[in-house]
Amino acid sequence: MKYLYVYPEKCTGCRECSIACSLNKFGECNPKKAAISILRDEFNRYEFPLVCFQCEDPVCLKFCHQNAYKIENGVVIRDENRCIGCRLCAVLCPYNAVTTINDEIIKCDLCNGDPKCVKYCSTGALQYLDETEELEKRRKEMTECFLKIAKK
Amino acid sequence: MFNKKLGIVDLSRKKISIQQTPDSLKRLFLGGRGLNSYYLYKMIKPDVDPLSPANVLIFGTGLLTGTLIPNSSRFNVSAKSPETGILGDANCGGYFAAELRYAGFDRLIILGKAKTPSYLYVSNGNIEIKNGKEYWGMDTTEVQQSLRRDLGQVEAAVCGIAGENLVRFACVRTGVKNAAGRCGLGAVMGSKNLKAVVARGTQGIKVAHPEKMLETVEQLKEYIMSSKISSILGSVGTPLLYEVSNTLGAIRTKNSQLNAWSDSLNANVVETFVEKMISCSSCIIHCRHRNKLGGEGPEYTALGLLGANLGIEDTAHVIKLNNICNELGLDISSSSTILAWMIELYEKGIINRKVTEEELRFGDFELIKNLLYKISRREGFGDILAESTRNARRFGKKSEEYLIAVKGLPQSDPHDCRYIKAFALGIATASRGADHLRSRPTLEIFMHIPKEVKEKIYGKGVNNDPTSYEAKEKSVYFSDNIFAVIDSLGVCKFICHGFNSPHFIDYKWMKKLIHCTLGWRFKEKDLQDVGKRIIDVERMFNNREGISRKQDTLPKRYFDDPMPLKIAKGHHIDRKEFDTLLSRYYKLRGWDNNGQVRKVRIKELEKALA
Repeated sequence: MKYLYVYPEKCTGCRECSIACSLNKFGECNPKKAAISILRDEFNRYEFPLVCFQCEDPVCLKFCHQNAYKIENGVVIRDENRCIGCRLCAVLCPYNAVTTINDEIIKCDLCNGDPKCVKYCSTGALQYLDETEELEKRRKEMTECFLKIAKK
Repeated sequence: MFNKKLGIVDLSRKKISIQQTPDSLKRLFLGGRGLNSYYLYKMIKPDVDPLSPANVLIFGTGLLTGTLIPNSSRFNVSAKSPETGILGDANCGGYFAAELRYAGFDRLIILGKAKTPSYLYVSNGNIEIKNGKEYWGMDTTEVQQSLRRDLGQVEAAVCGIAGENLVRFACVRTGVKNAAGRCGLGAVMGSKNLKAVVARGTQGIKVAHPEKMLETVEQLKEYIMSSKISSILGSVGTPLLYEVSNTLGAIRTKNSQLNAWSDSLNANVVETFVEKMISCSSCIIHCRHRNKLGGEGPEYTALGLLGANLGIEDTAHVIKLNNICNELGLDISSSSTILAWMIELYEKGIINRKVTEEELRFGDFELIKNLLYKISRREGFGDILAESTRNARRFGKKSEEYLIAVKGLPQSDPHDCRYIKAFALGIATASRGADHLRSRPTLEIFMHIPKEVKEKIYGKGVNNDPTSYEAKEKSVYFSDNIFAVIDSLGVCKFICHGFNSPHFIDYKWMKKLIHCTLGWRFKEKDLQDVGKRIIDVERMFNNREGISRKQDTLPKRYFDDPMPLKIAKGHHIDRKEFDTLLSRYYKLRGWDNNGQVRKVRIKELEKALA
């Protein structure tokens, strides 16, 4: 199974990943309307890609009272037909990985195995790789790293 | 399809009007610098005092700004310049321009003067004039962080203390170091009691052909990343140019008394101060250094000008001065040029302690640092320095002979232009004064220019000797035109054909990028015409302010003092050769022999714009 892995030390903050995601999903260039966002602050000196970690036991799925979420081949998918737009998933996700903007709820689906964010990243800060033990360790580390930054 | 608006804000009357820019106008000037220059020509009457409420201040994003198109982060700030009294314009990257578009606007035109310190808050289609009292007096980082504390994740373009105090070379800043640096536009903000323009928005940019854009950008990205220069710029940034210029003997040193300086400022030394390379919005080059001394930079310009030109060797000192200029909101190029000029005038006895209050000498870090603070607050001698090149009037004719400026604008490029003749013509004719970012004809020094590119620009059988005067009008003409277009598209010059590489985004690419974004079909020639039109309108503005052939000249030293060191030794600009080169340039532009845009052309443009 392939997953998205983030390398924040390589992220320059450009947001090409988010813009590509919004262009692909909505036909517009809008880094705020994307399933991936870059948490960046040039004054506090960090850039950090926020992606859906495709949790094994995802909060979004667990608490959705419409059962709009399911796991398909390791990817957490939101069924738009079941979703009533309550945004509970977005509120509960500890990694801010479910985006809500205006009337949209946006959840990463890994673009059916061809994630656009990875394609338009020019530094290797986002990589789509076969899962290994080592990479899984990294994925866990990144979730902790995010929680630390989010507290700032 | 393209859904962004024009906001016109009258600070005196507290009136805001929101309009649509006609497509017909965009087709003529695209956006960014081009449209800004058009509005300056249209809205500013001749002889207006740049620091009076009658000046017009414009923040204009490029036609493609904020999209997936690589390096489309840019905007231009334009007004009549308080430093030069002619066209003032500066291009800037960062995240502000994209955010302004996500907030619903392409361009803001700011008129009048607020009664009390204010800022503009632009969000999702609205513009508000807000009380800015509590932000007045803050450095550029402090004000941006305070705005974020109070308003959330906003992006802002601000002036520093230098702008508040009307220093004639105060810049507009966004982020840690991105600056609309030149021409004193921060002082225009200060004169309008405008501390900041703040943007926050969630409105995307709808594009005509999303799939085409994804596809075109994928190809363009691959093309740009395959070039060696891209990875070098992304790892060491512009400091790589320091060693190149220094080896040649073309680094302005101690007010151009010398032309070479210490290896201690080479890129490999600078690198040890870099924590991480970062980007502007949409940028795939990432040439910005987050330095270990608390700021960003230094660029080549800061190294050359705050180092060599002021006689400073210590890299850490240069970076500290760079960070200080950024915090105070001072233009690095003008700050250095004016300081170096004053130090030489002091050494030559043209000015003395009565004026300067203390001994001036090159290489004195503490002295320079204190003077920068004094300039920003207009304290003591700083009040005189803050007047920039206008001091030539105060200190007399003799002082002017040592001033490295054209049309009242201190030279930006740390490159001594006596060796590469096209660089000299470029700064002599640039529409904002002695500035390399209008036309820098780097084509002159590329090692490998494809034959077809070369012949297209220079014609057949032209020798590529950068020290000859032959056909140099052509490389300046070509570069000036295409850079005017890229500035209007809102894309960084770093990936423009002819700036860092003889490849990259040329008119053909521009055509494709415009098509996928807006669905407009441009021919290559249409785009060339846009460039020419922009240069003509800028010249018309300057002609109206009294600029003609007489002002298209160079610092006296470039003509009369041969360069003393290294490969460039003995080179200078020959007055006669320069004069005939200038005539050839006018001819190519279609201007008359006195450097005036011809009446027929003015009529034609005014008719098209009516």
